[in-house]
Amino acid sequence: MATTSKAPTIDDLRVKLCYICREEELHGAPLENPPRRWTHPCKCTLVAHEQCLLKWIQSAQASQGRAPNALKCPQCGVNYELESNNPPVLRLMEVGNKMIQKAGSLFIVFGAATVAGVIGTSVYVVMTGYGAWAVQKFIGKEMFDLLLGDDPSNWPWSAYLNLPILPLSLIFNRLGMTSTVYPIYPILLTLPSSSPSLNRRVNEYWRLPENARRIIDGIVSTRPAVVDSSSPSSWPPSPFLFGLFGVPLIQWLYRRMYKQVYFKVMGSMPPERTNLMRRNRNRNGNGGNGGGGQQGNREANANGVRRNNVRRMNIGDGPFGIRVQANIREEVIDMPPNDAEVENQVQDAVAAAERLAEGVPDDEDEVISISASTIGRKIAGALVTPAIASWAGNLLLRFTQRTRSVWLREFLAIKKPIGAIWMPPPVDLGNRDMHTLGTFRQIVVGVQMIAKGLWGSTRTWAESDPVWWRNTVGLGLFIAAKDCVHLFHLWLSKRELESRKVKSLDFSAVDIRELDLLPSFPRLAGP
Amino acid sequence: MASISSRRLAKELREIHAEGCPVGIELLKADDFATWWFSIEVMGESQYRDEKYTLQFRFDSQYPISSPAVQFVVGDGREAPIHPHVYSNGHICASILGNEWSPVLSVIAVCVTLQSMLASCKKKERPTDNDRYVRTAPDNPKKTRFHYDDDE
Repeated sequence: MATTSKAPTIDDLRVKLCYICREEELHGAPLENPPRRWTHPCKCTLVAHEQCLLKWIQSAQASQGRAPNALKCPQCGVNYELESNNPPVLRLMEVGNKMIQKAGSLFIVFGAATVAGVIGTSVYVVMTGYGAWAVQKFIGKEMFDLLLGDDPSNWPWSAYLNLPILPLSLIFNRLGMTSTVYPIYPILLTLPSSSPSLNRRVNEYWRLPENARRIIDGIVSTRPAVVDSSSPSSWPPSPFLFGLFGVPLIQWLYRRMYKQVYFKVMGSMPPERTNLMRRNRNRNGNGGNGGGGQQGNREANANGVRRNNVRRMNIGDGPFGIRVQANIREEVIDMPPNDAEVENQVQDAVAAAERLAEGVPDDEDEVISISASTIGRKIAGALVTPAIASWAGNLLLRFTQRTRSVWLREFLAIKKPIGAIWMPPPVDLGNRDMHTLGTFRQIVVGVQMIAKGLWGSTRTWAESDPVWWRNTVGLGLFIAAKDCVHLFHLWLSKRELESRKVKSLDFSAVDIRELDLLPSFPRLAGP
Repeated sequence: MASISSRRLAKELREIHAEGCPVGIELLKADDFATWWFSIEVMGESQYRDEKYTLQFRFDSQYPISSPAVQFVVGDGREAPIHPHVYSNGHICASILGNEWSPVLSVIAVCVTLQSMLASCKKKERPTDNDRYVRTAPDNPKKTRFHYDDDE
């Protein structure tokens, strides 16, 4: 009479029935190719294929409503234990991500309250105010004072058009309505095109005859002595030219590079979809997403060597969270039984991944659902961009000063602030003092100013300390750094997803008589 | 052989043919693995005595990971039962079809649950927001985010 205190495990079952796919496996029967791992993750009699269970958990976790039940056994309610390669850095990042997401929804709530409160009275004032703040952050206080000044009554009419548009264009830019990566692009294009219109203070200054005389000399010959003459005035490029040609070029190069790095790290191409509103769903799974994975599958299939299961998950609870694709490789010894079947599975996996990525876990059809917190996060992110640019630019400045790098200094074209001593001359061809000149001289001055305005820059832009330029560079570096962190996060998540295992428990909590055990299992003596 | 979804549905169908449906439930149509129809009837004393309804299941390729889209068939002389959780377009607000769906459930299990949902009904009435919902409802009930009350 064999008595034992050892509880039976999944390996002692005569018949295993996966509660998810309902496939059975008889003990001792020829195993499937490849053999599929079984798991008994809870305290009741339910057992499942590990892959089926992981698929279910992933799918449930991707949906906000179902996430609380994702790790719960539907019969006994015990929580499944997942084991995976989940380093502290990833957990920290997840926490950070969640907090930012929370901040995003808070932003939406408070933002909506503000908008609602202000809407009747002065959305316009708020947006203009924001625009002014953004411009000041981006081009620096000094340039701002020169261009616009503290007193809004002195602003040129174009400022009242450009400034309120700014927050909108920043947001649209971030939400992907336009196809740019570089978020400050709108500032670059809108601001300089308004041409540095000087405020009244500057105008008055230059109307004084002794100053006016200096315009004529200043424009044609040398620059004022106060300005640091070490850097040539043709560097940096004018914001307008840079916005028109430089930004698109750099963006294009950067995207190419990013895609390559992404492919190296993640083993697939980055998701193509940048547009929030565009629905790009390819039911055949041949779309940009996962297309590479599928290709790989077909090839592997032909060789009969291995099979990739493409799995993806969402990070963050919004539909527009980060997507992760994981390639899980299973070694296959023989040819898979049926090519069509494998292909079908692959297509299912890809379709599932698509759906997961779209945040519509179950629907066949398309649905546009937008998560408030994700949108809030994006909008808030877009609106703090100028502050980030200013901060990054400052950091660059301080770094340059600390290291005394001549090269950096030249590149960033750092000059001493103009301060109160030097006032840039107005770019106003109708300046009254021009009448003291001969006609020919007037034309020469005019042509030179226009040429400078286009190719170098207008005098104000060229001769002030180009805060905007180092802020641009700084923001660019910031974006690159952000993308690096993002990629690192994706990579960690992918590794976590690939290493997932469900902890298998024994049947100690179940009455043994309920189980269909192998005859070889030592039983307790019956009553 | 086909995908996991059709293999599992084939298995469920074999079981239905072999063991038959529970009392009051009948398989009307299961020509493919996309749409199945059942007739459902509440046995014994209830608000729905001698009434027969048609239940439609729609499966996608992710079944049973993703829940089936279940609704009552409306039109061609068929009506949705009048019930606080059933809209006049046939859509059903039941948590097991949404957040509480689990792959451990089956087509027959869903039928039985809905049958008992009807059987336990005390008063025949439409959901309070019926008109508003029906006006804007999507074709597929799974696209609706129902708010489930636990008043059963």
